[in-house]
Amino acid sequence: MLRSVWLVPALPLAGAMINLFAGRRLGRWAGVLASALMVAAFALALGVLSDLVKLPGDERLVVRHLWDWISVGSFRVAADLRVDPLSVTMMLVVTGVGAVIHVYSIGYMHGDPRYGRFFSYMNLFCFFMLTLVLAQNFLFLYLGWEGVGLCSYLLIGFWFDRPRAASAAKKAFVVTRIGDTFMLIGIVLVFLRLGSLDFSAVLRPSIESAQPSGVFTVIALLLFAGAVGKSGQIPLHTWLPDAMEGPTPVSALIHAATMVTAGVYLVARTHLLFEISGVALTVVLVIGLLTAVYAATCALGQDDLKRVLAYSTISQLGYMFFALGLKAYAAALSLLVAHAFYKALMFLSAGSVMHGLGGETDLKKMGALRRAMPFTAAMFGIGALAIAGVPPLSGYFAKDQILEVANQFGYFVAWLMALVGAFLSALYISRLMFLAFFGQDRTERRAHESPPVMTVPLALLAVGAAFGGILGLSATTGRLHAFLAPALGELVEGTGGLPTVVLSAISVLAALAGIALGWLVYGSGRIDWVALRVRFAGAQRFLAHGWYVDDVYSTVLVAPGKAGGEFVASVVDRRVIDGAVNGVGQLFQWAASRGRRLQTGLVRNYGLAFLVGVVLIFVYVGVRLS
Amino acid sequence: MKTPISYFVVLSAVLFAIGTVGVLVRKNALVIFMSVELQLNAVNLALVAFSRLHGNLNGQVLAFFSMVVAAAEVVVGLAIIVNVYRRMHTANVDDASLLRW
Amino acid sequence: MTADQIVFWVFAPISVGSAVAMLFQRNAIHAALFLIVNFFTLAVFYLVLGAPFLFAVQIIVYAGAIMVLFLFVIMLLGVDREESLVERLRGQRPLAIVLGLGLAAEIFVAARASLGLARGPADFDRTVNVGGNAQALSHVLFRDYFLPFEVTSILLIVAAIAAMVLAQRRERTAAEREAEAA
Repeated sequence: MLRSVWLVPALPLAGAMINLFAGRRLGRWAGVLASALMVAAFALALGVLSDLVKLPGDERLVVRHLWDWISVGSFRVAADLRVDPLSVTMMLVVTGVGAVIHVYSIGYMHGDPRYGRFFSYMNLFCFFMLTLVLAQNFLFLYLGWEGVGLCSYLLIGFWFDRPRAASAAKKAFVVTRIGDTFMLIGIVLVFLRLGSLDFSAVLRPSIESAQPSGVFTVIALLLFAGAVGKSGQIPLHTWLPDAMEGPTPVSALIHAATMVTAGVYLVARTHLLFEISGVALTVVLVIGLLTAVYAATCALGQDDLKRVLAYSTISQLGYMFFALGLKAYAAALSLLVAHAFYKALMFLSAGSVMHGLGGETDLKKMGALRRAMPFTAAMFGIGALAIAGVPPLSGYFAKDQILEVANQFGYFVAWLMALVGAFLSALYISRLMFLAFFGQDRTERRAHESPPVMTVPLALLAVGAAFGGILGLSATTGRLHAFLAPALGELVEGTGGLPTVVLSAISVLAALAGIALGWLVYGSGRIDWVALRVRFAGAQRFLAHGWYVDDVYSTVLVAPGKAGGEFVASVVDRRVIDGAVNGVGQLFQWAASRGRRLQTGLVRNYGLAFLVGVVLIFVYVGVRLS
Repeated sequence: MKTPISYFVVLSAVLFAIGTVGVLVRKNALVIFMSVELQLNAVNLALVAFSRLHGNLNGQVLAFFSMVVAAAEVVVGLAIIVNVYRRMHTANVDDASLLRW
Repeated sequence: MTADQIVFWVFAPISVGSAVAMLFQRNAIHAALFLIVNFFTLAVFYLVLGAPFLFAVQIIVYAGAIMVLFLFVIMLLGVDREESLVERLRGQRPLAIVLGLGLAAEIFVAARASLGLARGPADFDRTVNVGGNAQALSHVLFRDYFLPFEVTSILLIVAAIAAMVLAQRRERTAAEREAEAA
């Protein structure tokens, strides 16, 4: 099975191609085909896993050479796949969660005129994502990186006739492009300074002596810039909330479980470079932490169901980067896996809510949905508890571990901020839960529960979200940590700070406090949250607009750019260039209008012309002969 | 003969120049045609003068042929002028400017 | 002064004068008559230059046939009316005169440079015009220039036919006659 690991990305690619060309003819079966291929890919991935664990712990690294991709002079890049614990983990997440979401989409996208195209794009995305996580060299990874960016654009703007969707797709692409460009420079630097693009050649401890540490800092920061863009961290986060214009399965797959986690994967994969440069790791930590807290506050002020979840994603990703900055790579990965489950679960539940309410996303127009959609409410509740970090769900284990590392390594301020973030996470998610599913019924339509093709995937994800922790998915001594150790290194135990039990208790208390406050304000009916909103309207608006960061970008960056573009289009293009081109034509017209006057039609004028010529020839001959 | 041949050649040139000016300045088609005949005659004079200079009859023969051809040309040319006059009712060369821009 | 010099210096002014006079005539008939005078002077020059045959041909063909034909056509078409002296084309007259003078000057210079004051063989009549000009001419004409001779005769026939065709009055069709009557 390990030898045919190339099939795992190949199956979705085949699905994408088939659906692209024959999707319309397949009709309903397009979705079934795409999902079946994903399920097959997941099964194959499980096979690869089982083969991998048969190998002894230290030797769990297999490189499958597919073909020589680029061979120019001394520059050789091969299309190689790397099978090691980290890539297998990511592969399982992508195929597993991906397969579930595909099945869900069969029902969610039913009736859409471009049904086949949707599944083609989804499969294509999975192909690129799998290429990204299985790549053995930087360039191949970058191929997948760009590919997922493309598919994200295609899928966010899937309903391209909606101006907001088209604009959001463009924004996503452009903002991530900024990060991607820096990343490309970083990759070029890797080749120039470290001599190769192959992971096995570059990511070994002896590379440290190859260049001064400043080079590693620059490379690591450039690569991190790419991660910042793709994973929606400050300052390149503005695209993620807008990306919610796309269909909800897209939000679940791409902007919760997989694409946005590519940045986390990248840093985890290249963590050696970050460690050699101490500065880069600190930058990762700081940005991750700031983003986590910032996004949590913004989530509190959102009225749109999906936007809450979007900011939540940003915040959780911030936690992952925070963990990476603390060198707790396995903890970050655990959070990644757990997050994939419960965030996808919550997005799909949100989709179910929207499906039941005919597309409504405004929280102010929901309420008491647990009566009309009990199953969805239960699923959403499981996801909410996971994200809040309530044990024994998976989210608790991951987040608690990160906080523990922060405290025991002595980063007390960071630990406190992360704790505040955890409290806020619990608060905003319980606000969402209570506003949507409890309280007064403020809906404008009668809601109905979703069909099984949508609810069964929810159940599957809920199982993962709930019991992932117990499966040892996220614990220091958990199976995942041990599994990832060969690839990510052993976790150094911190000394100092509070003992583990106390820390866990504090985290749980923070979570419960958040939920309690949320219930008090939004669920119990004792506080008039509507009046509260009106009183703090300014603050609410501030949070809703993401601290107005996007607006600042708009004024400072986008507007001058647009003005520049206008200038070039109207002045340079129209007047200068078109003027020159038209001018050439007009020049000829003018010359011709003058020149035609030579044709007077009068014989005598022509005779005169003869005579002039004759005289000139005479003079010339005469001069020549004398 | 005591007159230098170049005198005849210069005379021929003067007559030729006068003929040229006549072609370019006059507007009556027939007068223009007459100026052309003047030019032809000037050339004949030059031919005969050179024949005398070189001491053979080639120039004279050439002048003879020139006269014959001139006669034929006059015939055809006048026929054309008559035709044009019948169409346009004018012998003014400036009125035949249909090929004007 | 020998005879030919006197003849030259008498008839040259007449020749130039009549040519210029032809240029200035407003009446086409007058212009034709001046041209005939010019032709006569040229005939005299041929005589002086030892070409008596051409002297005769000039008078018979040019002055006698061609110019008469001209006069016929002028009077047939009735274009002997006064031609307006106003020149409508700008610069035509000055340019023509300047260029004409330039042309004459150039040839003058060229002739002086190449010919100088050469006179030609003194015994032209004895050596070249052997047996008389006509006989000598005929020797050259019918031997060395036989082909051009024959071709020119064809040319004359063609010219005659062309003249007949071109000057023919077209038979008007019944439709055109009606159009003209209307």
